[in-house]
Amino acid sequence: MNIIVCVDDNYGMMFNNRRQSQDRVLREHILSLSSRSRLWINHYTEKQFSQDSNSAEHLNVDDDFLDKAAPGEYCFVEDAPVASYESNTEKIILFKWNRKYPGDFHFDIDLSGKGWKLTSSEDFPGFSHEKITMEVYER
Amino acid sequence: MKFKNPIKELRERKAEEKRRQEEEKRRQEAEEKKKRKRLLIISAGILAALLLIGGIGSLFEKPDSTLPDTSSQVESLVSSSTADLSTEPEETPSSDTEKPSETEKPSETEKPSETEKPDDSSKATDSETPTPPNVAPVIDLSSIPAYSGDPYVVVNNNVPGFTDADLTTTSFESYSSLDSLGRCGVAYACVGQDIMPTEERGSIGQVKPTGWHTVKYDIVDGKYLYNRCHLIGYQLSAENANTKNLITGTRYLNVQGMLPFENMVADYVKETNNHVLYRVTPLFDGNNLLAAGVLMEALSVEDNGDGVCYNVFVYNVQPGISIDYATGDSSLLDQGGGSQGKDDNKNDEPQNSTTQTYILNTNTHKFHLPSCSSVGQMSDKNKQEFTGSREEVIAQGYEPCKKCNP
Repeated sequence: MNIIVCVDDNYGMMFNNRRQSQDRVLREHILSLSSRSRLWINHYTEKQFSQDSNSAEHLNVDDDFLDKAAPGEYCFVEDAPVASYESNTEKIILFKWNRKYPGDFHFDIDLSGKGWKLTSSEDFPGFSHEKITMEVYER
Repeated sequence: MKFKNPIKELRERKAEEKRRQEEEKRRQEAEEKKKRKRLLIISAGILAALLLIGGIGSLFEKPDSTLPDTSSQVESLVSSSTADLSTEPEETPSSDTEKPSETEKPSETEKPSETEKPDDSSKATDSETPTPPNVAPVIDLSSIPAYSGDPYVVVNNNVPGFTDADLTTTSFESYSSLDSLGRCGVAYACVGQDIMPTEERGSIGQVKPTGWHTVKYDIVDGKYLYNRCHLIGYQLSAENANTKNLITGTRYLNVQGMLPFENMVADYVKETNNHVLYRVTPLFDGNNLLAAGVLMEALSVEDNGDGVCYNVFVYNVQPGISIDYATGDSSLLDQGGGSQGKDDNKNDEPQNSTTQTYILNTNTHKFHLPSCSSVGQMSDKNKQEFTGSREEVIAQGYEPCKKCNP
């Protein structure tokens, strides 16, 4: 599976059980990125997508999404640890806010280990974020 | 020759009489209303005095049951003792249209008197809507653990002390008057897009908050120990050089401590167009001129805290530096406290005092030379030209770009 995660400058993901940030342009980006496959999310993340008028048919909502995603499918992870799924992960797609937020829940895969390599990096403007960076890591 | 029409005359007399009666009725109603208000104010004053004498329970003891459960956070750090009087805020004007408070809410006792003059430091976007009173949260500094490496500590399981009555979708901001020592008090806002900045920030270098020293250390990011820290950040309120909104804070407090929390609120409001209740309270120990830290509380209104909800104390410390909070004097820790920082106030020729034009990125808080390649990539809305000295830019909380090294 391919894991999608949003992080701040400190690789934080959540603070006080709430996502650090969100951006509608980023959601469109994720939907587009995964449009030829399935995009798995949990019920917490579903609320974020429900704000948008365009619902995607390839969106699958399941709280056990990390266990159910098949090879090649995408999991957008906001509030779950992913290190235990590292061996099943083909690709890690990090969206960086390029901002500092408070964080008490962090991305838990060490990208400098286990052969992860940065294969692409792209900046794009978000709706409420000046610059979001998409980094793709593969082995 | 004109003839009087008796019927017309009678009608006019009756109409006049009716007008007089209505006027009298309105006058009596207004009088009655004033009496009721006076009575209410007196009652509120007596109640406030009684509660203060008796030691009221704090807002933190009774977190709003409507707030989301945040039980996974560390235990409450707030004591039930009375508020630090040094942070007692000035109250702001009320009006008839103010929402009634629910019973047993401590904030009721803080409601201002209508006889008080309006505070010019308080502004609401709708002139008909009253600004809620500046109620300082009740917190005992002795309940805050000593700094141990993290820029902040969670207070009251991250549940802010707002009540249902505080919830509003009308943006406002309100600042306490300086106390007798010239120190800031609580700053309170309902942050909405309509009070966020539409233009770049101006200079704040002319403001000298209590405890201010222009002092440099090599171990401090950007060298300068102290920044002029906005209680309610410029990106949230567009308040620039408001002396009621600026305290002396360490670089660490400003950048590592407060900024991430401000960013979270700013980006949430920009993205959702919702509102966030936001309160920042500087906490001073006794008559100290330098705050020990700030209490930051935030709660998103329209989604009842689903988006933003926190309550944290952010330390006004600088790792490696010893600070005398009574005066703001400082020294390096690793030299037995004997080595003073370089105080630019005492220099005839401060370093880097040459005036130059810089380009500020108000989003990343980096500053650049006009020729820097990053300037071209910068969004116009975040770009600001600044002419002044390098130290002035740094003292405003900006970091030099690592590419052009201005």
